[in-house]
Amino acid sequence: MLRNKTLPFLLGIVLLALFLTAAVLPRLFTAYGQKEMFEAWEKPAADHLLGTNALGYDVFTELVYGTRDTLFIGLMSSIFTLLLGVVIGTLAAQSGVLGGLFDGIINVFVLLPRLITLIVLSAFIGTGRWHLIALIALFGWAPTARAVRERVKHLRVQPFVEALTVQGFSRRQIAIRHMLPNLADILLTRFLLGVNSCIMMESTLSFLGFGDLYHPTWGTMINLAYRRGAFLRQAYAYLLIPGFCIMLLSLAFYLISLWFSKRKEIIAESNS
Amino acid sequence: MKRFVKSMLIAVVCFLVVVLWNFILPRLLPGNPIAYLSGYAEEDLTASQISYYRAALHLDEPGYRQFGYYLKSLVDGTLGYSFKKNTIVSELIMERIGATLQISLPAVILSTMIGLLWGLNAGYRKNGVLDQISTSLLIVLNAVPSFVIALILIILLCFQNRWFPYTGLSSNGMRPGNAGFFADRLWHLVLPVFTLTVAALPSRYLLMRNTTASAMDAPYILYARLRGLDAGTIRWRYLLKNIIQPFLTMVGMSVSLCVGGSLVIENVFSINGMGKLLTDAVYSLDYPLMQGILFVTTAIMTASIIVTDLICLILDPRQRKGEHYA
Repeated sequence: MLRNKTLPFLLGIVLLALFLTAAVLPRLFTAYGQKEMFEAWEKPAADHLLGTNALGYDVFTELVYGTRDTLFIGLMSSIFTLLLGVVIGTLAAQSGVLGGLFDGIINVFVLLPRLITLIVLSAFIGTGRWHLIALIALFGWAPTARAVRERVKHLRVQPFVEALTVQGFSRRQIAIRHMLPNLADILLTRFLLGVNSCIMMESTLSFLGFGDLYHPTWGTMINLAYRRGAFLRQAYAYLLIPGFCIMLLSLAFYLISLWFSKRKEIIAESNS
Repeated sequence: MKRFVKSMLIAVVCFLVVVLWNFILPRLLPGNPIAYLSGYAEEDLTASQISYYRAALHLDEPGYRQFGYYLKSLVDGTLGYSFKKNTIVSELIMERIGATLQISLPAVILSTMIGLLWGLNAGYRKNGVLDQISTSLLIVLNAVPSFVIALILIILLCFQNRWFPYTGLSSNGMRPGNAGFFADRLWHLVLPVFTLTVAALPSRYLLMRNTTASAMDAPYILYARLRGLDAGTIRWRYLLKNIIQPFLTMVGMSVSLCVGGSLVIENVFSINGMGKLLTDAVYSLDYPLMQGILFVTTAIMTASIIVTDLICLILDPRQRKGEHYA
């Protein structure tokens, strides 16, 4: 699609590296502490890059510290999504009643209206950040499971698996040592895309006010900005920059995943 | 044929799953089901109130009888009772669903049309300059959460330039039933609908563009070109018929996504639709109301999937008459 395929990839890596640094070493980016108070609603200026918020906290500092929580929820829920997806996808690829059952479960979970289910369930279960991670993972694994199911079904009938079975390797060994490495590429792309959708889902939930207030993510920031009247104060940077960061972060993951799937395509083409 | 019957069946099963867990969830979670079913915390209730709710919610009767009452509430269309608002749930939802549909349906239609036309065009001239620009643009757009789009539009069009209103669906003092009200409503709808359209567009565009781009390599397109057919004929009569199906399936599946998106956007634009109702219900812990909304959206989703599957069946003779026909 894009003629120069490495440029978007590099851009993604740079963006991701930037966000990761901010997550690990927030002190590098901001001189202020997380709870340092200044005048409320200061305009963006040299000493407060994005101004201050209703309580007088520096918005840029909040943004930098929010990186860790945003990334944490996104990555954790994506890891759980991946695990669930691999297990259920593999089970669904089996023949017989069991496979059919899990197949059906995947199909049902693909359809469920995700956002509303998540909102309702978070009201029932609570909105701590582990609750959020669990809920997002519980309702996000279906696409991964589908991809895994297709690949496993395809792999099971490959000659090398047959050969291994004939040679008497155990099913577990075949699955872990020989099939799993063949799943690596879809797992990688699914993981990256999963982080993407998990971050989007988390920010939407947080924006609606169902986020974890003790670990404010960017979505929570926008929600607070919106509710505390950033519009009327014309603190547009406070409203928009966290959203812009969500976009950049999710774009970073998307660009990296794009590069891997493109590379996969090129390999497939050169093989055929 | 078989495939569509299967996918309709899955939609129905999905619907039943939601119905089932709406019943099970409040009864299974730790804590007294009274708290979940009435919305009041157990500690705030007197003994007589607790026994009142136990009786009203049939909690003393065996499980299957409770399930019977629950099914009855779905069938007769009341969807349960909101003790917080002292009304039947379905009445609350019916009051508000109009606003949600006014935003989500136009957005579904617009984003589908634009995504179809634009994606077909871009895919037809794949790797052209226009294709590259628009595809990159929409990939970026795909990464922007819908509420951020809404905020940007509000800031640009409502605060910087006072062109559009940013709250509600009608101005103060407007009475329904005349042309002025209608124009006012349209004017209020522009931004929410536009936001949702923009938010829903990228996935449709990208699917259409990519399926078109890969179908362009098919031999029948080359043959059609060799016969000297013009681009319009190839695009609309040959290409589209062959690739429309995944697109339609996706549109059917995304109707519920758009309703969900509308819930978010209603909160930004302060529109009294189902989204506002849902967030209010969550803040006031009105569990029956939440479950009612979940039920209604799942019903909408199921219906839209069945409809699009039927459309696919009508459009594609291979599906109707069996594979050997192809």
